[in-house]
Amino acid sequence: MEYAVETFSLTKIFSDWWGRAKVYAVDDLNLQVRQNEVFGLLGPNGSGKTTTIKMLLGLLHPTKGKSLVLRGDGKDPRINSRIGFLPEESYLYRYLNARETLDFYGRLFGLPAELRKIRVEALLDMVGLKAVANRSVGTFSKGMARRIGLAQALINDPELLILDEPTTGLDPIGTRQIKDLILKLAQRGKTILLCSHLLADVEDVCDRIAILYGGKIQTQGQVRELLQQTNKIQITTDAISDATVKKIEQLIKDEEAECEIASPLDKLETFFIKTIAAAQQQAHPTSGAVSTTKIGAFLAEETPVEKILDKLVSAPVAEESEREVSITEQVVYNDKATPVHNEQLLTELTGSTETSESQPAVEGQKVEEKQIESQQSHREGQVKKDILDRLTDPSNPTEQDKQTENS
Amino acid sequence: MRGIWAVAKNTVKQALRMKIAVVFIILLLVLLPVLGITTTGDETLKGRLQTFVSYGLSLTSLLLCLLTIIVSIYTVTSDIKYRQIYTVITKPIRRFQFLLGKLFGIMLLDIVLLMLFSSVIYIFAIYMPKFFKATEDEIVQVNNEFYTARAALTFPEVDVSQEVEERYKALEKTGRLPSESDYTREQVIAELTAQAKLKQRAADVGQALIWEFDNVRPLTRSMFIRFKYDVAVTPPDMQVYGRWYAGDPRYVKTGEQPRTEPFEKILKRSVQTFHEIEFPADVVPEDGHMAVAFMNLPLNRTSITFPRDGLVVLYKADTFTANFIRAVLLILFRLIFLACLGVLTSTFVSFPVAILVCLVLFSTAAVSNFVIESFDSLGSNMSVIYSYSIKWMIRLLPQFDKFNPTSFIVPARLLSWPIIAQCAVFMVFIKSSILLILAFIIFGCREIAKIIV
Repeated sequence: MEYAVETFSLTKIFSDWWGRAKVYAVDDLNLQVRQNEVFGLLGPNGSGKTTTIKMLLGLLHPTKGKSLVLRGDGKDPRINSRIGFLPEESYLYRYLNARETLDFYGRLFGLPAELRKIRVEALLDMVGLKAVANRSVGTFSKGMARRIGLAQALINDPELLILDEPTTGLDPIGTRQIKDLILKLAQRGKTILLCSHLLADVEDVCDRIAILYGGKIQTQGQVRELLQQTNKIQITTDAISDATVKKIEQLIKDEEAECEIASPLDKLETFFIKTIAAAQQQAHPTSGAVSTTKIGAFLAEETPVEKILDKLVSAPVAEESEREVSITEQVVYNDKATPVHNEQLLTELTGSTETSESQPAVEGQKVEEKQIESQQSHREGQVKKDILDRLTDPSNPTEQDKQTENS
Repeated sequence: MRGIWAVAKNTVKQALRMKIAVVFIILLLVLLPVLGITTTGDETLKGRLQTFVSYGLSLTSLLLCLLTIIVSIYTVTSDIKYRQIYTVITKPIRRFQFLLGKLFGIMLLDIVLLMLFSSVIYIFAIYMPKFFKATEDEIVQVNNEFYTARAALTFPEVDVSQEVEERYKALEKTGRLPSESDYTREQVIAELTAQAKLKQRAADVGQALIWEFDNVRPLTRSMFIRFKYDVAVTPPDMQVYGRWYAGDPRYVKTGEQPRTEPFEKILKRSVQTFHEIEFPADVVPEDGHMAVAFMNLPLNRTSITFPRDGLVVLYKADTFTANFIRAVLLILFRLIFLACLGVLTSTFVSFPVAILVCLVLFSTAAVSNFVIESFDSLGSNMSVIYSYSIKWMIRLLPQFDKFNPTSFIVPARLLSWPIIAQCAVFMVFIKSSILLILAFIIFGCREIAKIIV
């Protein structure tokens, strides 16, 4: 079995000035993250999650043991070029604007100018910061900075994505978007190491998890296996008549089992997104981030660049909609719309960006036509979603001041 | 390579947008023209020019040095402190490349600013005669003594140690040495050496002194001998006769037919003041090997000596512009050294400490001669420890005072390429490289992340 990340009794002891051991931040950690899985590293504050990640990337030296990242050293530039990393906070150069920031990171990867430009624009679009792309990131709220941080981690289309609490400071829509993105990337065969203490997020996306406490793995395994209650069964149906319910109840009683009947509750997340989508119908300008469900085209590409044209010819839209299926529910833009409609809308959105964004790498002329089209459709979408940020993204001065003080 | 360039570009943006560089730029852009208008010197055009160029170059050099120290330290320490380095260093860029990028950024900024400010000084210096409506005489004077690069030849260094040793032995044999209690051997040797050296510069009545010079390549038709006499017995009218010769050395040494028409003149000049003799540059043979000779004429009744700075042969060896460009290069070498120093210190200490270290080293380097000499005299008492430790550290200091551009430009002395090369080798290739390699090692080994538990 080949592992994307593997550690061998990795240990980090922080010692005081005299060299006396003070804290075992990570203690004899043996972690295996398989290729192409979403792995969640859970644990309360100070349990050694971030320290582990920093050791993987060579930002800290392990006291003992060693680690392999993509079967190599986490400090090796060749390995680094295949990794995307989002640290626990988005540490950005305050004096650069959003576009320059992404361009800078693109240059560090040595991406050629054309590709860099395409990716930067796609990512800005994806994290909903295109409208504020020329504002310096020093003036961004925490959530907006987080979005840029995420975008910089994706600019090289990484094989392994290491995310340290990616959803802190993000609004629910941003959170959902990240979860969708993680699933999408996983479908494309990427490996994701996720580090979080927000259990709901982890539960939604992770294949396997490890729970850390005191620098040691307390338990690890498949999320489904760990959470499944094998002694219970849940049946969910459409609304049926009371008579039928009574019948079923009777049947269960005959088996001498306990049963509980109620209408299932919507998840608050789903409800929230519905509400915001409704509000987006009214156009409101926002100074903050615009939440979208878009995913940068180059990140969603499954085929190598040469095959993109073929894909476009052979009706990619249908394919896309099939691929869109994920564990989390799809975002519903219109309260009244049926699921079928939603899927179409989504396909349209992702499809249009996909065709327009993925094409330029191949052919120059078609690009321009398509891009204009997509920009138009994007603008409409943007206006509608503008209100969202007012509601969700508390980019008020106090927040900014706090950030300035912190930094 | 792309990564290095990206970091370099980002460093320049940081310096400009964080307004560190802007302060210095504005300061210089205001101060230089003000200096140009207000400096008067000794009210002559030459004095005015000398003061302006001296102040202008010193100010530019000082402010750019400070700027380099601050920017180089800030750009590295702030990346570490505000942790932007987490996202940068985990990209495909090696740590030394990151530091190189920072260094290139600083140097790029320095080069652009240095070019800007030195051009301002140069333009002011060139147009100053027109601004102040100088007279003809003044213009001739500044053309000869300021807008030029004069090579200055002085006494060739003569090794007298052999002679001194023999003399000491002779004294020892004849028992004429002073008693050990009064003078140590070192003191006697030093005294004898001084005497022997003085003898090289002294001419008894009727005796001649010959100095030979190599690689003399004058650009203009005139050359100058600048001299000062000291005498053992002062004549009543304070004046002595001297016969001066300049030209092919073979003529004075062996009496051969000279290849060029020599210059010969008998002059009566006062003692203890400087005089200049102008002579045609044609006297220098084609191979650049020439001699200057002086004869103490028997008319005098005293021996004549030349003080240590008492004889200089001056000739225009290059243009003012070329000399000025080389002077600016000296400033650039300084800045490169300081940038490396700043990067090194910021790899292991925080901003304020690094600034302190760099400023102390910078000011020490500015008086390096004094420091070296005082440590040498101190060190003679604790020789072993000194020569193996402090001496080497002191030697590693850059010698900003030895390679001071104003000391060449103001007296219009030629700043030759060998001097530039010497400065480049010591300050850039050796000292700066040592600093940079140390920085790479320290930065490569240290833990980048802070300890958070």
